[in-house]
Amino acid sequence: MSARWINRGLDALTWLVLALMLAPIFWLVVSALQTDGQLATGAMNLLDPTFTAFTRMWDSVDFERYLLNSLIICTVAALCATAFASLAGYALARFKFRGATGLSLGVIGTQLIPGSLFLLPVFMGFIWLKQNTPIALFDTHLGMILVYTAFFTPVAIYFMRYFFLAIPKDLEEAAMVDGCTRFGAFVKIVLPAAAPGLVATFVYAFLFAWDELLFVAALTQENAETIPIGIRNFIGNYQERTAQLMAAGVISTLPVLIAFFATQRWLVKGITAGAVKG
Amino acid sequence: MAQTTVQPPPEAGSARVLPSRAGRPRRSAERSRTRFAYWLIAPAVAFMVLIHLLPTTAGFLLSFKRLNTFTFAQLFDAPWTGLDNYSGILFDEANPLRSGFFGAVQNTVVYTFWTVGLTLGLGLAIALLLNREMRGMRLVRTLMLTPWIVPSFVVAVLWQFMWQSDVGIINKVLVDYTHLLGERPIWLLGENSMWAIVIPSVWRGIPFAMIFFLAGLQAMPRELHEAAAIDGAGPIKRFRYITFPLLRPLIAIQLLFGVIYAAYQFAIPYIMLGTNPGPDADLMMTLIYRQSFQNNLFGFGAAASTLLMIAMFVWVLVWYRAFKRDLEAVT
Repeated sequence: MSARWINRGLDALTWLVLALMLAPIFWLVVSALQTDGQLATGAMNLLDPTFTAFTRMWDSVDFERYLLNSLIICTVAALCATAFASLAGYALARFKFRGATGLSLGVIGTQLIPGSLFLLPVFMGFIWLKQNTPIALFDTHLGMILVYTAFFTPVAIYFMRYFFLAIPKDLEEAAMVDGCTRFGAFVKIVLPAAAPGLVATFVYAFLFAWDELLFVAALTQENAETIPIGIRNFIGNYQERTAQLMAAGVISTLPVLIAFFATQRWLVKGITAGAVKG
Repeated sequence: MAQTTVQPPPEAGSARVLPSRAGRPRRSAERSRTRFAYWLIAPAVAFMVLIHLLPTTAGFLLSFKRLNTFTFAQLFDAPWTGLDNYSGILFDEANPLRSGFFGAVQNTVVYTFWTVGLTLGLGLAIALLLNREMRGMRLVRTLMLTPWIVPSFVVAVLWQFMWQSDVGIINKVLVDYTHLLGERPIWLLGENSMWAIVIPSVWRGIPFAMIFFLAGLQAMPRELHEAAAIDGAGPIKRFRYITFPLLRPLIAIQLLFGVIYAAYQFAIPYIMLGTNPGPDADLMMTLIYRQSFQNNLFGFGAAASTLLMIAMFVWVLVWYRAFKRDLEAVT
């Protein structure tokens, strides 16, 4: 009898914790549906939502440009990172070669470097290239794509290696007996079998690129600025327009939220790969 | 760029599985396999060398240069100053940057301690709560992940609004609705500002810790708990002697990366509290960014970054010694 009551109590606690965790997100959405004046005075009326903050925000700043820049840079960078990582991850999962351990250590090592240490030379290198060569990397999409590709390739390698290890070797061997080349077997047999892993890795890299602020703050000026910079500029210029800021927050969360929930099952598998031995 | 990876490496096409002419077919096959592996890792390695290894080395070298507003035009040809940047930060009492540096070190330690401690503790508690059977549990598990998806810069603007002293929802709840506090605290300035960045970081970090622990809990063999229960061990004892020891490797991994990510936190204090978060909440990264890119003290920034990296290497060594046994248990 008492065990049942304890269980009921824990169930209630579970829902309470969930409500607490979701409360700030609820508040974000609710505030975005009010007017700037209501938020400034605290006289909110939750029963009277309005979309004016969304339309006004769109007029206040060039949000479309930031959104477009974020979408282009993050999509291309996540694609490249996934492509390079699937090659390297396959090598680590299937082949023994000299330097394999070194590569694994290097992959972890990249996570240890503070961004600020290699940001300075990357920044100076981009400036130098701009001054001395026709290669335009400073404040361009290409520059940010290169940087983000390099950023998220290491973590993506770990993801892909895990997904490849889960695919039985016999598949490729059978294909190679049938006359496929090594690379052919990889492209035609292994990659399709690892499709969920590819999607998960892509989304993971995309989520992290979407969130990146330090590098884009230093390496862009006006052409290639992404959403976080847009938000920062918005705070700088229109700090009192809180409802618009919350509306911008909602808009910048939506793309990643959709991407996450669409691929949630595979993504969680990739993230928890280390937790469960497989 | 994507095209280069799709093209098959030239060697791969000519490599046969079983070359019959060679005297030692095995070794030759081995060599072609190795060559293939090198082709596969080449793009990733190229990127890591170009954007991680070379710039990091350059950053380390720059920390020995006098690089500021006056010498920036010379870029990499700025004059050498030996260890001046380091001794200025660490030992020169007259250097105005020194106190700011030590303040940021202290704040970063406090921030990292509370963020990682609370994230792991609460993440584990919630994972235990969700590792039960309940109607709607799948939905709860999925929805619980949402805070992790909210980008840090949105987390920062949202919580900045919620922390507002007079109109923010947090003070409304704490003071007006529940009367838990008599006076309205000021969250975004002074002593409280550390909590203003720790709590949102924990909120955003909990889901990640939770799914990690939950996956570990679900992979645990049930028989252990059942056998212990038959022997009369209560839930607390079972957690203490079965669950916790089995989770130790997971705690180790999360501690390792949690500390590194927390020590490198930038977006939340920068967006919530501005370029200069003030002496109570200025972290290493906000300090380095401000001094480098706003005050053009690039030499200082490079030296401070190097010291931060050394601190992280020390942390990894300490971590490795502390958890060596747990890691051996897993692999």
